[in-house]
Amino acid sequence: MHAAPFPADEAERLAALHALLILDTPPEQRFDRIAAFAASEFDVPIVLLTLLDTRRQWFKARIGLDACETARDISFCGHAILQADIMVVPDALQDPRFADNPLVTGAPRIRFYAGAPLQLPSGQRLGTLCLIDRRPRTLDPLDLGILATLRDLAVMELGGGAPQAHG
Amino acid sequence: MADARHILLVEPEPLLRRTVALTARSLGLSQVHEAASTDAALRMLRERSFDGAVIAVECIGSGGARHYDLSLVDRVRDAATSSHHAMPIAIMADQATPTLLRALHERRISRVILKPFRARVLLETIAGF
Repeated sequence: MHAAPFPADEAERLAALHALLILDTPPEQRFDRIAAFAASEFDVPIVLLTLLDTRRQWFKARIGLDACETARDISFCGHAILQADIMVVPDALQDPRFADNPLVTGAPRIRFYAGAPLQLPSGQRLGTLCLIDRRPRTLDPLDLGILATLRDLAVMELGGGAPQAHG
Repeated sequence: MADARHILLVEPEPLLRRTVALTARSLGLSQVHEAASTDAALRMLRERSFDGAVIAVECIGSGGARHYDLSLVDRVRDAATSSHHAMPIAIMADQATPTLLRALHERRISRVILKPFRARVLLETIAGF
């Protein structure tokens, strides 16, 4: 398993995240609604709105998962925030970064992952809106467009301004 | 997207409406104008012309007189708006009853989208106009 390296702007990223005062706050309908919509739209059993703290990923919204956080070093989202584009892992068992990840070999037995980074206008990526399935899958350009829009709406709710055009 | 087609989307659920409109814009499919209600849609239909419409219809009335409200479709087909009377229209409905299908056929509508409504289906419909 490859633990996700910290991004170059980790200090600024954590400062931006902590400034939102959102970590460990109760669930909110405005985020839950986006997660539920994504679960229905993409027909996936698990959708998470994750925020990457120093050593953990914490879930502001979660569908299909009881845990409210996991360790950051085993998180898929730790990898996803390293890039601006949506990170898609069609089959985790075929990906050397994740094949022996405990979230793949054990519960929740992730096979498919798609994480759209929650990027603030200032550039810091705080976490992801991610789709998880227990079977291999792919996303086509239309799916990616819809996921990017839902991510943009989540960023707006985080206080990140109007959605940006994406293609 | 200077020559984008302008599509009217009449849908009360804000998240579905916003998702379709923003995704259509970002992918360059079309310019989707959002209306949350029939009244809002009527105002927009007066103000500008559209190249197509996706309209969620609701049941009105009670008992045996209960029926889908197709008044918005009728306004377009009767040439009572700024849009071409024959513009493509897709209908979103809870279920496709024989009465509804007959009414839609009479109004030259061949596309019916049934629950659960997905942004993807709406976007594919808009792309097909």
